Amino acid sequence: MARNKSILSEARQIERAVTLIHLGARLQVLESETDLSYERLLRLYKEVSGRSPSKGQLPFSTDWFMTWQPNIHASLFLNTHEYLNKVAELDEIDTVIKAYQLYLEQISAQGLEPMLSVTRAWRLVKFVDNGMLTMTPCSKCGGHFITHPHEIARHYVCGLCEPPARAGKGKAAGSLQLHSEPRIDAASRAEPRKAATAA
Amino acid sequence: MRDCSDGNGLMLRPSLNLYSSFHAETQRHFNRKPAAMTSEQILAEIREANLSYLMLAQSLIRSDRDQALFRLGISEETAGLIGALTSAQMMKIATGNTLLCRFRMDDDLVWNLLTSHGKGAANEGVSRLHASILMAGRHQEAA
Repeated sequence: MARNKSILSEARQIERAVTLIHLGARLQVLESETDLSYERLLRLYKEVSGRSPSKGQLPFSTDWFMTWQPNIHASLFLNTHEYLNKVAELDEIDTVIKAYQLYLEQISAQGLEPMLSVTRAWRLVKFVDNGMLTMTPCSKCGGHFITHPHEIARHYVCGLCEPPARAGKGKAAGSLQLHSEPRIDAASRAEPRKAATAA
Repeated sequence: MRDCSDGNGLMLRPSLNLYSSFHAETQRHFNRKPAAMTSEQILAEIREANLSYLMLAQSLIRSDRDQALFRLGISEETAGLIGALTSAQMMKIATGNTLLCRFRMDDDLVWNLLTSHGKGAANEGVSRLHASILMAGRHQEAA
């Protein structure tokens, strides 16, 4: 990113930073995505959110994105991100912001709690950019899901077509639940697969 | 004419308040038992739907163009055209015997997920999320 001292560009950067703070981004994201100094960002952060930013390292590994529910949330975000990337010409960070806003909307429209933070979403895009994660189409439904690179596409089945045994049993509010009725197991899961192959 | 169940009489009734007569009109639609529409009705409803669509599309495009591309599933060029429409142009385009917007999930897979076909309501949240992921992945239609 070119160091630009123009006031207009600074105004844009502040606006961007404010949007990110509202979405709950960690300070590290702001530092990396704007040219504003650490001190100014810190002041901005306190002014906008009314509290000091969380300290410490960003706690991320790629493994988080591989667990069942986070994978679904993150895949929804990344599909939206890719969509915007294809159709709109935006700066990288703006694509993340807009895709994340759309993700939040979609999740709340379905009565769920967002699991993916904007910081994680941002990291996810970086992971994909440098090849630590990728998207692989599911061999059953054709949807693109986040996987480790070199996943064998022919055999890959997403967590929604074949949920792992313990998936969806959590009772946390706003989390994805798979069938509260006990009997469904095999029968209901065979059903969507039939639909998928028929399509 | 006046007592026909189709309710043409309603339109003949003098009304000063356009809005309330429109309201009565829509109310009537909900209460009515399914009956074939006359061709004037079809044209009127298509124009109504087209106008609503164009107005919504235009305000989405004007408030956030990039997100509108995602929401509407249209290309950059189409967004430019719709965004630049004047009201008069909109009226003109909306009038016709075809709808301007089209269905975005014309495949069994997404459709079954959205309607939770073949499963209980328990998995509905998961199915809808699944459908969202599939639909968000389809940018080739827009670009």
